[in-house]
Amino acid sequence: MPRTGVFLCHCGSNIAGTVNIDQTIEASRNFPGVVHVDEYRYLCSEMGQDIIKKAIEDNNLDRVVVGTCSPRMHENTFRKAAAEAGLNPYLLEVANIREHCSWVHKDMEEGTPKAIALLRAAAAKVALNEALEAPKLEVEKRALVIGGGIAGIQAALDIAEAGYPVDIVEREPSIGGRMAQLEKTFPTLDCSACILTPKMVEAAQHPNINLITYAEVEEVNGFVGQFDVKIKQKARYVDPVKCTGCGICWEKCPAKAPSEFEMGLAKRKSIYVPFAQAVPMVPVIDKETCLYFRKGRCQICEKECPPQAIDYEQQDEIIERRYGAIVVATGFDQMDPSIYGEYGYGQHPDILTGLEFERLFNASGPTGGKVVRLSDGKPPKKVVFIQCVGSRDKARGMNYCSKICCMFTAKQAILLKEKLPDAKSYVFYIDVRTAGKGYEEFQRRAAEEYDVAYLRGQVGKIFPEGDHLVVHGVDSLSGKVVDIKADMVVLSAASIARADAPELGRKIGINTDSYNFFNEAHPKLKPVETHTAGIFIAGACQTPKDIPDTVAQASAAAVKAVGLLSKEMLQGEACTAEVDEAECSGCLHCVAVCPYTAIDAKEIEERYGDGTLKRTVAEVNPALCQGCGSCSAICRSGSINQKGFSNEQILAEVDAICLQR
Amino acid sequence: MAENNVENLKKIREAVSQDLLGGRIDLLLGWEKGHYWWQSRPLFARTEEDLEKLTWDSFCAINLSRYLLDELKDFQKVGVLVKGCDARAFNRLLQDNMVVRDRVTLYGLPCPGMLDYDRLAEVAEAAPEGIIEQNGKVTIKTADGEKSADRDDLLADKCRDCIYPDPVVYDQLLLSPVGKKEAPEKFTAIEKLEEMSAEERYSYWEKELSRCLRCYACRQACPFCSCRECFVEQQNPRWQGRAYQASENFMFHLVRAYHGAGRCIDCGECERACPVDIPLQELNRKLTKDINQLYGDYEAGLDAELEPPLLTYRPDDPAAFSEK
Ligand SMILES: Cc1cc2nc3c(=O)[nH]c(=O)nc-3n(C[C@H](O)[C@H](O)[C@H](O)COP(=O)(O)OP(=O)(O)OC[C@H]3O[C@@H](n4cnc5c(N)ncnc54)[C@H](O)[C@@H]3O)c2cc1C
Ligand code: SF4
Ligand code: SF4
Repeated sequence: MPRTGVFLCHCGSNIAGTVNIDQTIEASRNFPGVVHVDEYRYLCSEMGQDIIKKAIEDNNLDRVVVGTCSPRMHENTFRKAAAEAGLNPYLLEVANIREHCSWVHKDMEEGTPKAIALLRAAAAKVALNEALEAPKLEVEKRALVIGGGIAGIQAALDIAEAGYPVDIVEREPSIGGRMAQLEKTFPTLDCSACILTPKMVEAAQHPNINLITYAEVEEVNGFVGQFDVKIKQKARYVDPVKCTGCGICWEKCPAKAPSEFEMGLAKRKSIYVPFAQAVPMVPVIDKETCLYFRKGRCQICEKECPPQAIDYEQQDEIIERRYGAIVVATGFDQMDPSIYGEYGYGQHPDILTGLEFERLFNASGPTGGKVVRLSDGKPPKKVVFIQCVGSRDKARGMNYCSKICCMFTAKQAILLKEKLPDAKSYVFYIDVRTAGKGYEEFQRRAAEEYDVAYLRGQVGKIFPEGDHLVVHGVDSLSGKVVDIKADMVVLSAASIARADAPELGRKIGINTDSYNFFNEAHPKLKPVETHTAGIFIAGACQTPKDIPDTVAQASAAAVKAVGLLSKEMLQGEACTAEVDEAECSGCLHCVAVCPYTAIDAKEIEERYGDGTLKRTVAEVNPALCQGCGSCSAICRSGSINQKGFSNEQILAEVDAICLQR
Repeated sequence: MAENNVENLKKIREAVSQDLLGGRIDLLLGWEKGHYWWQSRPLFARTEEDLEKLTWDSFCAINLSRYLLDELKDFQKVGVLVKGCDARAFNRLLQDNMVVRDRVTLYGLPCPGMLDYDRLAEVAEAAPEGIIEQNGKVTIKTADGEKSADRDDLLADKCRDCIYPDPVVYDQLLLSPVGKKEAPEKFTAIEKLEEMSAEERYSYWEKELSRCLRCYACRQACPFCSCRECFVEQQNPRWQGRAYQASENFMFHLVRAYHGAGRCIDCGECERACPVDIPLQELNRKLTKDINQLYGDYEAGLDAELEPPLLTYRPDDPAAFSEK
């Protein structure tokens, strides 16, 4: 018979309010194997833990049940306490009384019997618990950063500065991300390139940073401390070692294609770097439009390249490398606002998104830095900004606020006035949201010093009339209909998750929220962690955010990664799966469902008649097993069992609950 | 079948005896006549003499593929005669990693459907003493005389809703194909069950399952039951109580049905084997129907290369729960 102690926590009044503590404690005394019961206001406090430790020592307890909050919350706290009192930590079970009773039942009538049932089940389970030992795992002292926007660059720099090697995998030919597309940055109006380019260069030159641009993550296996990653390096058709970035090739290349960096507002060559300050300054050939790849003739770049860096035979390559930690920083996209038919986006060249408009200010942008109408090249006199296009729109767009649009609109209105003092801006908004250091002041300046007219209300329709665009809206403060003859319209299209975020999430084993942004492990207390140990998130891939927040989060993620890399050893999973070879029929269904590829087939030899027989069984690699239990659920014969959650233990729990009814 | 029975049997025997005598197979799994004229039982042929007993008539309902589980332990190379359902059962075993493909030779026998003694008796309204088959008609001889009926009306339950009478996998096809069939009634019984209230459905199953003798004939006949030790017999943990009462019977049959979810090849062997006529196929078909609804149409056993729905993950897999 085990000697089990049951400890019930009041959780202040959280549990005590809906569970009759005395009654529950009395009932617990009679569970099989229970020799000691106690209760306390806050078991997780130091005092509470001492009560448990002392009881273990005084009463010679060899099993412990705590009735508290979710094991996700404090299982570790209590296991540690048990270990300090000399008990194997896996001989302790948590009954989740707070979430399963107090938070779902209104009164003691319902809460109390359920609490008793759950404790009884836990006591029945713990009687079958075995002492387990968590394996020690090595940590590969290298980090991977996926995405080379400002978030990825900052995280990589911080990790590198802490002394660990780090690879940045960037999908585009250059790092820089969205910030490279920006002209100036609110709220201080520093030039984006002036503050970003030095960081890009620093990253490229840092001895601990290795840039893998024009590449994507193909596959991630393994686990915290030992992620085995396959990276696909797309063929550039340019040898990065030989290339000097002289630019002759893209100057001479006769073929053109819409520039992704300019969002189609300008052309680039078939051999190109996305923008003038690209890092690395090594072009790529876009196979789809290259004359040589399409028609077999041209090869001008090859002829012109002084160091003969062009290599049409280059192939995609797979780089395989192990990392201890991963930071995901893949950023965001702007929504395509053409689903809002009333705004006419895509049907008129003078209706742009915020990001497109931003490019018109840039000296190397599609208009050479002149803010002009794309229809006729004339400077606009009246520009109307429309806020919340696709944001805060339950019906057709995203429920959330994109957070940055109010600010970049104020910024663009200011920049416009500075470029074209005669121009007038109008902003249609629902609310102006400017929380942030110096933000409110910045927006007020736009309204007060830069003559920007803020109209609270919505736009019903935009239609061309002569060479104008009539913006037909309602000013909801005055109740009046307003028609503005605008020269240009700028839509603050919602910031949305990257289209491939869920797919990437699946590859690396982290999940996304209902908008496809990556989920943090806790909205308040674990904002850069994910539910997968060793994988962190930073920047706009988590939710829309501005540069200051992005950078702060990137540094936070870097600290978490560094904290992990600096550990000598990690504790592995103790509750791994185990195969009963005598029972296992070798169907290998478990292999198919294991998300961590922790199971393999193995041949065994068995006595049969007078001879032996070879047959296949499953075998778990305990270093890879994360104890998810999928295999145990699919196995019909119950031949694969998870330690700490064995079929015996679970049936004992079920029996304990049923018997009590 | 009867008209060219002799000729068909000759073809089959020629093909298999060549292989057996030539050493390409060490054992042939086929059928021989059983105790009664209306029963054909498995034949385990190792010699030419054994092959003399081989039969192929309208009573070869028993699915032979399952016997491979045992025979492959004793024989290196085994040949099996496979009808449509035997072939699908073979794919089941293949997907469950229970057989090694190149140790088995499959002789495909397109199947016109097997006849059922009870159906014959029902139609003849007397104890049948023999049959004569001709042109899709069956003449049933009884002590009182003769009765003629359409062959299709005399089919065994397991054959009535058969869609794939032709083997879907084989090494040699010995007879000419009969073609894919329609089975519009396949899920009718299930739809009726779904229309019942939960209470009605419970009492329906309580009544049916209370007859269960727990002889496990269904399991022994089933190609998806290939565990080394069935959960009902396991001692640690004891999933299954030993008492012959409805709740324990429920436990056995429901768990077995779940173990077949997305795996049952709809051969109907469980129901054929059941001595007390429990409509076990309804449990399996219910799960097949649900799985099709949830994950798109999937027919277990048709193609061993196609991943079963419960062993694959697609991002858009639904997480719905059906209460019926
Ligand atoms: C019009 C506009 C104006 C703005 N103005 C300002 C401003 O003035 N001040 C301010 O503070 N903020 C501003 N912002 C916000 C700013 O752009 C973001 O805060 C910032 O870009 C977020 O950085 P990030 O690194 O998280 O994402 P991103 O900049 O999006 O970078 C992500 C990087 O990851 C790469 N990537 C994506 N997917 C993959 C993949 N699967 N594999 C590998 N690499 C991948 C991308 O190519 C990209 O390089 C503005 C935004 C917009 C739209
Ligand atoms: S452990 Fe179970 S699921 Fe895995 S191969 Fe063995 S019998 Fe099949
Ligand atoms: S518990 Fe089973 S399925 Fe889950 S990781 Fe371990 S071996 Fe794989």
